[in-house]
Amino acid sequence: MSDFGFHLAFWSLAAMTLGGASMIMISRNLIHAVIWLVLSMLGVAGLYLTLSADFIAVVQVLIYVGAISVLMLFAIMLTPRAERDNSQNIKTGGPAAIVVMLVMISTLWVAIDTDWGAVREAALTDQARLIGESLIKHYILPFEIGAVLLTAALVGAIALARQDDEDAAVHASSLQAELDGDGSVDPVDVIDPPIPSDGEAGS
Amino acid sequence: MIIGLEHYLVLGALLFCIGFFIALSKKNAIGVLIGVELMLNAVNLTLVAFSRFGSAEVALSTQVFVVFIIAVAAAEVAVGLALALVVYRNRQTISVDRTTLLKG
Repeated sequence: MSDFGFHLAFWSLAAMTLGGASMIMISRNLIHAVIWLVLSMLGVAGLYLTLSADFIAVVQVLIYVGAISVLMLFAIMLTPRAERDNSQNIKTGGPAAIVVMLVMISTLWVAIDTDWGAVREAALTDQARLIGESLIKHYILPFEIGAVLLTAALVGAIALARQDDEDAAVHASSLQAELDGDGSVDPVDVIDPPIPSDGEAGS
Repeated sequence: MIIGLEHYLVLGALLFCIGFFIALSKKNAIGVLIGVELMLNAVNLTLVAFSRFGSAEVALSTQVFVVFIIAVAAAEVAVGLALALVVYRNRQTISVDRTTLLKG
């Protein structure tokens, strides 16, 4: 376990995770921030592999890297008039930094100072089978509650994000006006242009 | 130097603090959600580290717990992004310091 390859994997994956997270903090563009989030999540998945938790690593890649990042990119694209910028809030930045420093000092203190006892050498093997068996034997009630929660959350998300028909017409016309004024998006992409844009074309 | 439990715990703590700062200080609501995701990932990393290095009784239950956390996080992101879309539709912005409808 103390061989060179493991050290290299741990330190490079740790640098990838923390570097990606720091770039989210720094980057000004929200889409770039999501891409850095993907890098950070991939680093965490690799760290799961160094902890020999292979099932969790695969789930991490599938859900976080695959699904959640794409969902976030969709949400960014669907809010076109909101600012893309990912800048810090000036008013809360200072107090937030103080609170975060306190949390960091206390958690690092606990992590380093506590005697965690003997380290187990053998990792858990055959995890996918064990997790699946315990999910449908021992944890059957939380499993079912989780299923109901996911269904309810996704139906609720669709119900929230869905537009009514008259709402959609108003939204489309205002979007069209915005796109005409903005000029950054090709007007061919808009399906139903309700506003004649002859006056806008020259300006 | 052997890489042990403390390394992963320190890494998880640092990742949690970065996510916490992002969640507290970003202006955009989606940026806040990104910070919350980083915090959840840090907690998952800590739990998996305990699953690897802790006692044998908790090795399996921590991993099951991580699976549940990932499922709940997926639900949270779906609802959070739908809420961001609704706020955008009504207010034309998702900046968290301009959605002040409840401010007295």
